[in-house]
Amino acid sequence: MKSSNPFALWRWEKMFGEWQMFGEGFLRTIEVAALALILAVVLGVIFGVISTSNNKVMRGIARVYVEFFQNTPLVIQVFFMYNGLAIAGLRLSVFAIGVLGVGIYHGAYVSEVVKTGITSISVGQVEAAKSQGFTYIQYMRYVILPQTIKIILPPLTNQAVNLIKNTSVLAMISGFDLMYMADSWASSSLDYGPSYVFAGLLYFMLCFPLATWARKYEERLKRNDIARVPFDPSEEAVTC
Amino acid sequence: MKKVLSVLLVLGLVFTLAACAPASTTTSDSAADGSLDAVVEAGVLRVGVKEDVPNFGLKNTATGEIEGFEIDIVKLLAKEILGDENAYELTPVTAKTRGPLLDNGEVDLIIATFTITEDRKLTYNFSTPYYEDAVGLLVKKEAGFTGLADMDGKVIGVAQSATSKEAVNKVAAEKGITVSFSEYATYPEIKAALDSGRVDAFCVDGSILGGYVDDSTMILPDRFSPQEYGVTSKLDNIALTEAVDGYISGWLADGTIEELITKWGLNY
Repeated sequence: MKSSNPFALWRWEKMFGEWQMFGEGFLRTIEVAALALILAVVLGVIFGVISTSNNKVMRGIARVYVEFFQNTPLVIQVFFMYNGLAIAGLRLSVFAIGVLGVGIYHGAYVSEVVKTGITSISVGQVEAAKSQGFTYIQYMRYVILPQTIKIILPPLTNQAVNLIKNTSVLAMISGFDLMYMADSWASSSLDYGPSYVFAGLLYFMLCFPLATWARKYEERLKRNDIARVPFDPSEEAVTC
Repeated sequence: MKKVLSVLLVLGLVFTLAACAPASTTTSDSAADGSLDAVVEAGVLRVGVKEDVPNFGLKNTATGEIEGFEIDIVKLLAKEILGDENAYELTPVTAKTRGPLLDNGEVDLIIATFTITEDRKLTYNFSTPYYEDAVGLLVKKEAGFTGLADMDGKVIGVAQSATSKEAVNKVAAEKGITVSFSEYATYPEIKAALDSGRVDAFCVDGSILGGYVDDSTMILPDRFSPQEYGVTSKLDNIALTEAVDGYISGWLADGTIEELITKWGLNY
C-alpha cells in the first residue's frame, strides 16, 4: 500500500508529472507582477510628487488615493473589480484585474515611499534650484528625483517583493496564476502537501533574489555613507 | 550563487525530513490502531462538515448552529459511538481545508459532500456511500440555454476539488463541444460569478445546486455522471472507519438514511 503521508514521495512524482500546469501559473504570475510593478511605480511617482506639492487640492487627491487603497483589503478591491464592476457592465479580464488591482494597490504604497524620499532631500536644494530659475517640473526631474532614487530603492524593492506575493489574490477570482494552479492541483488530486510546498518554492525563487539584492544595496549605501563621513569640502561647496 | 544553492538544498532536506518523520510514526500507529478508542476516550466526535451547502450543512444565521442532512448523520454516529447524540464537535470545512484538517488530526471524520473516487481512496478511507447525486448546471434564465449542447465555448464555474469538471468535460467531448472552467473555493463565490456574468453556468452536484436556485436562475435538465458521497477518515484509522462503515450500512438497510434524505428534501 502507498504511504498515506501528505508529503509521500509518490505524490511528488504525480505532481511533477503535471508540471506544465504549474509552469503556466508561474508564467502568469510573472507577467501580472511585471506589469503591475510598472503601473505601481508610475502611479507611485506621480502621486508621490503630487503629495509634496504646495497645491492643497493636489495634495488632497493624493491623500485620498493613498488612504483609500492602503486602508482597504486588496482582497475586497479585487473582488469588487471582478464581480462589482461586471454587474455594473464593465467586464475586465482577470489578467487586467490582476495588473490594475495589484498595481493600483501597491501604487499607494510606492507613493508613500517616493514622498518620504523627496522630503528627505533638504529644502535648501529646492531653494537653490529655484534661485537658478528651475521650474517645479525641472527641479523635480533634474535635482530631487535623481537623488531620491538611491534612498527609496531598498523600500521600493520590498514593495516589489510584496507585490509579487500579493498577485496570489488572483487565485480567489480564478485568475490562473501560480496560487490558483496550486489550489486547483491540491484540491483535485488531494496532494496539497507537494503542491503548496512547490508553489511556495517558486514564489521564493522570484522574491528571494530581489530581497537579497535590496539588502546588499542598502548595506553598500550605508558603507559608502560611513566612508564619506570625513568632510569633503569640494562636495560641500557644490551643494551649498 | 553557491550560497543560494546550499540554502535551497538545506530547505529541500528539511522538507524531505518532514515528509519522512511522520511516515514512520504512522506505520507504528496502524499496528495498534486505537482510532476508535481515542474517540471514545475523548468523549467527543470531531467532524468536519460544510456550512455553505443548503440541506447538507448550512449555518443557520438565527441560531449560529450548522444544520442539515450531514449533521444529522453526525448526530447518529455520536449516539452510536459515544451514547450521546450531542457528543460531537463540528468544524466548518471547504474543499480546500478538509484534507489537511483530517491529516493533522483536527477532526476524526469528514462528512462534507466528499465524492468518492478510486484515486482518492489512495489518500483517505471512504465509507459505503450514504448519498448518490449527479452533477447539474445552474444557468441564468435570460441566457436561454436548454442544455449543455448549447454551451459551446462558454465558461463553467466549478468548485475546487470537485469532480464535476471531469464529468462535464467527458459529456462535452461526447457532444463535440468545448467548454472552459473557472474554479472557486466556495459555492457562494461561484454564485456571485454567475450573477455578475463571469461564468455562464454554475456546475456542481444537483442537490447542492438546489439551494442556489432563485428567480433569475434555473437548473438545466442535464445530469452527468452520478457521484457518491462517503464518510471520510484517515487511511490508517481502520478501527474507526470500519465502525462508521458498519453503522452507515445498517442505516442504509433499515431506511434511516432514506428517512433523513426525505426529511431534508433531497430525494427530488
